Amino acid sequence: MPRSTSRRRFLKALGLNAAALPFLTNLPSLGFVGSTSRKKRFVVMFSPNGTVPKQFWPDRQGPDFDIKPILKPLEPYRDQMLVLNGVCDKVKGDGDSHMRGMACLLTGIELFPGNIQGGSHTPAGWSTGISLDQELKNFFQANPETKTRFGSLEFGVMVPDRADTWTRMSYAGANKPVAPIDNPYEMFEKLYGQVQDRESLTSILDDVQTDLKKLRSVVSAEDRHLLDEQATFVREMELQLKAEPETEKGHAIPEIEQGVREDNDNIPQISKMQIDLMVNSFVSDFSRVATLQYTNSVGQARMRWLGIEEGQHSLSHEGDDNKGAQEKLTKINTWYAEQLAYLVKRLAETPEPGGPGSLLDNTQIVWGNELGKGNSHTLNNIPFVLLGGGSDFKTGQALKFKNVPHNRLLLSLARSFGHEVKTFGNSGFCGDGPLTGLT
Amino acid sequence: MPPFLTERSQFSMPHNLQAAWLRTFIFAAAGFALFEQRTTAADEYPGKPLYANLCASCHGDDGQGTADNYPEALAGDRPLVDLARLITETMPDGESDVCTGEDAEAVAAYIYDSFYSPVAQARIRPPRIKLARLTNTQYRNAVADLIGLFRGGRTFDDKRGLQAEYFASGRYQRNKELDFKRVDSLIDFDFGEDVPPESKFDKKEEFSIRWQGSVIAPETGDYEFVIQTDNGFQFWLNHSQVPFIDGKVRSGNDAEYRKTIFMIGGRPYPLRLDFSKFNGKSGEIRLRWKAPHKIEEPIPERFLTPTRYAEVLTVETPFPPDDRSEGYTRGTSVSKEWDTATTLAAIEVAAKVFDDLNRLSDSRPGKGDRSKKLRSFCERFVERALRHRLTDDHKQLYIESQFQKMKDEETAVRRVVMLALKSPRFLYREVGGQNDTFNFASRLSFGLWDCPPDNQLWNGANDNSLDSRIKVARHAARMVNDPRTKTKLREFFHYWLKLDHLTDISKDAEQFAGFDRALLSDLRTSLELTIDEFVSQEKPDLRQLLLSNGIFLNGRLGQFYGADIPSDARFQKIAFEPEARSGILSHPFLMSGFAYHNVSSPIHRGVFLSRSILGRSLKPPAAAITPVPPKLHPDLTTRQRVALQTNHLVCRSCHEMINPLGYALENFDAAGRFRQKEKNRDIDASGSYLQQSGELAKFSGANELGEFLANSDEVHLAFVEQLFQHVVKQPIQAYGSGQKTKLRDLFVSSEFNVNTLLAEVATVSAFDHPPADAPSVETVAK
Repeated sequence: MPRSTSRRRFLKALGLNAAALPFLTNLPSLGFVGSTSRKKRFVVMFSPNGTVPKQFWPDRQGPDFDIKPILKPLEPYRDQMLVLNGVCDKVKGDGDSHMRGMACLLTGIELFPGNIQGGSHTPAGWSTGISLDQELKNFFQANPETKTRFGSLEFGVMVPDRADTWTRMSYAGANKPVAPIDNPYEMFEKLYGQVQDRESLTSILDDVQTDLKKLRSVVSAEDRHLLDEQATFVREMELQLKAEPETEKGHAIPEIEQGVREDNDNIPQISKMQIDLMVNSFVSDFSRVATLQYTNSVGQARMRWLGIEEGQHSLSHEGDDNKGAQEKLTKINTWYAEQLAYLVKRLAETPEPGGPGSLLDNTQIVWGNELGKGNSHTLNNIPFVLLGGGSDFKTGQALKFKNVPHNRLLLSLARSFGHEVKTFGNSGFCGDGPLTGLT
Repeated sequence: MPPFLTERSQFSMPHNLQAAWLRTFIFAAAGFALFEQRTTAADEYPGKPLYANLCASCHGDDGQGTADNYPEALAGDRPLVDLARLITETMPDGESDVCTGEDAEAVAAYIYDSFYSPVAQARIRPPRIKLARLTNTQYRNAVADLIGLFRGGRTFDDKRGLQAEYFASGRYQRNKELDFKRVDSLIDFDFGEDVPPESKFDKKEEFSIRWQGSVIAPETGDYEFVIQTDNGFQFWLNHSQVPFIDGKVRSGNDAEYRKTIFMIGGRPYPLRLDFSKFNGKSGEIRLRWKAPHKIEEPIPERFLTPTRYAEVLTVETPFPPDDRSEGYTRGTSVSKEWDTATTLAAIEVAAKVFDDLNRLSDSRPGKGDRSKKLRSFCERFVERALRHRLTDDHKQLYIESQFQKMKDEETAVRRVVMLALKSPRFLYREVGGQNDTFNFASRLSFGLWDCPPDNQLWNGANDNSLDSRIKVARHAARMVNDPRTKTKLREFFHYWLKLDHLTDISKDAEQFAGFDRALLSDLRTSLELTIDEFVSQEKPDLRQLLLSNGIFLNGRLGQFYGADIPSDARFQKIAFEPEARSGILSHPFLMSGFAYHNVSSPIHRGVFLSRSILGRSLKPPAAAITPVPPKLHPDLTTRQRVALQTNHLVCRSCHEMINPLGYALENFDAAGRFRQKEKNRDIDASGSYLQQSGELAKFSGANELGEFLANSDEVHLAFVEQLFQHVVKQPIQAYGSGQKTKLRDLFVSSEFNVNTLLAEVATVSAFDHPPADAPSVETVAK
């Protein structure tokens, strides 16, 4: 399913449109301009269709928590981990559980009524509010200290090529879903296309000069000044470009594997490429907010590389007594944990540019899901796992809450970045303030 | 080889062509000889010593001006008699009785012939064809056409409206019995709770419609598209895969979707609108837009076509505005901003090409022929961008070396595109000005279309079907009927009628109740329809534009101006107040534009008639004078007040020409409504004009004014010159001093057929291009 054409809209976002075109040599935040304070980042990873509770939730709470099979890949990072049980998506209203689970996960607010009919409940449209990642993006972008070139990056892995309530979790505002980029080449183009062209430019301008010189001799003296004038402008731009790269060192354009098609069976490669691009974009400080969305709510990834032929969503409907299905679902969710572990590993291994510690020390990751459990479609006990030190939470523990709205978690996260909001999403679910025990 | 052919010409010039060039040479030489003679004669002017004694201290020895006293050069287009009178009345400054009568006439004659008159000016500073870059319009067209080569074009047709498919299912599924097709002129439907009235659909709650075709942008600018519906829809514009507006998900009470796109004037952009009613109660769908200078409205039928054209690559990088100081856009100067814009635009286009490379190169990554196809894309792209067959040197510089520098072929293509678009051979109309068939092709196409040569011209340049004047003229005759010529001609009339200045007109709400933004938008449409109708004729006769008594009105305009048509009528052409009106001269949009918010303005109208229609040059007012407010002189008519205001000596020199022209339109108030009285006094619409022949023309009212102008040689000459310069973007004098009158003669003998004139202008500029300036020493040495 090659979709190279949809790259166009991202090119627009890149700033190649008329109004927003930044002067070439003056892209914001290509260097670390005088930022002295700590760079904090926020990452959300999404995987669909609920988890297998028995294989996921620790039996013991507190610092001495045990790690069940699904979370095994994350064991090396248990000191940086927080497992949150009892956090529930309480948002009701229009839309089926998969829809609300997806569109309310980061927004914490109801959907508009609409024309998208799910398997049950009333039809619905988009979310009525902004999602936390976009809220934090706006917060960071409003401050010159924390402003970055892109503000936020939305990564996807095999997200179906259709825009509906099941495929969008990120919202720039009411009725404003943000499409993830699930083609790593598209993402590469967005991140580095212009930088690459800029590198080409110096040598191209050199060639232009060569031809301008030739042409000087075929025009009259009176016309020659016009060509000379242009030659001067071209020369000025060349000098400007040559003077610049000092700030660019450390922004080396990463090499990415070529020719990986967007295809179900390539999910593992695409996942790795997207994670690598995300970590690189953090090193270059292109963005301090990122989301990584695996397929979609109701996602049907067929994990043949694990020996599983069935689609994930179909499997998730099987009863608890179907041992084979439960085993497969455990494997599937463990695979997602492995992806998260790879991201965590890359962040942990990468030193924070210009500061102490690693990228992981300054990054807050949240792993979420649209459901608690697939076959019951419950929105209770969303399998939330937090990783990294970005929010300065007390990590290395498992906590059990008593049926608390997830809006309170969103609120905790917002405040941990210094964004002092009173409520987030539906304020009715924020009455008790941020979650207790995180800090 | 003649000296005007330089190393870049790859073809050898046929003999007949050389002969033509020789003739041009002789002609030009003869012209200079003539001037020589007159310069000698100037020594014998009796006015010369008078000028030296009385005038030179302020105006300079040769009328060039003096920094301390009168810095401006003495140059203009007043008739000799007028000049003599002016000297008698006003000169020397403060002692106007020193030089009068015969003395003044003698000084005037000397000044006129030596440096004042346009002919004298042309002799002193012979205009030349200057090296020019592409104007912004030409640049955008050139890029769009370059990419268009690889997307396949279609010839333009006259069909209007959009192709519609009506489906009995809400999901566009076929049903042979019930589905039907037709062409819809407007997308402006409210089906209520019912099925489309013409259908036999079986379900009220579910059906769908798909509209396809293209939308034509009347002018370059931002267009806001608006979709109004309470059902699901998807709208594709200029892209077949990614929806421009995606309203498939209905969410909340959003019933209106808006998005702006920048479009190039005269080009059709492909579109598709899918509308689906599914379990919905109501069924409403409207496709509207807000075009530049217009209010939001359903997209009018004349801008919709059921034909699906190829996508247009539209450069969105902003460019600094082109120079228009000489009355026409031209590219004879460059700036750092412009150079930066061309770099950014090159990057923009390279990225867009990269984005669509599979389609453009007709190949896929990993396929065996990929390399070959990418190369052939590059070769075709570069030769058409540079508008010449590529030499081996060019191939090496523009293509091969880029592939050698990059191991990744797709990145190499990007570089090739960027380099070609930064090349002076692309950015400048022509460097060196050789008379080869490729330049003939480019001159024709940029002249008539502001576009690079199409395939027919390109092939013509390659196979010698452009190597004689007759063959060039044949191409010009074909091209004149192309919609691209109509676009350029329409643009000319917009400039000619100053439409680009008349963008923000408002009227006193009490006096002109009903003159709102909607009415103004309709007024502009009315004038545009007049121009559209005119340029689409086979033999557009300029006089008709000035004399016709038909006017396009719709219900709203009809009500305001008192025409007898239904209040909901669409635009139609009717004879309206034929005894009082005269073509565009009295068109209510121009009458409103050249007026104040509460009173008419004979001065604005007179300036328009002097500058645009009669082609007279007017200097800015000598002194800044605040218009006399009507309140100060409540009993004066507008005419009396204007006369009083401009009575001062420094004003009179120009206003004696301006005012009497404007007075002839006094029958039209500030909104362009006909009136017979002002302040209970009869309107005095008598006017006059002192012709350059020295003869005074008199007329009263718009009809007589129209008759005078339509038959005035000055108007014809001015039109020829302005059209020439709009088309060629170089001064007409640079194409020989007799060029203007020659073209005028042709214009007159063709019954003022603008198309005939256009074709000849294009031919003259393409083939009778004066030889390039003497090339530099190195070139000759070769």
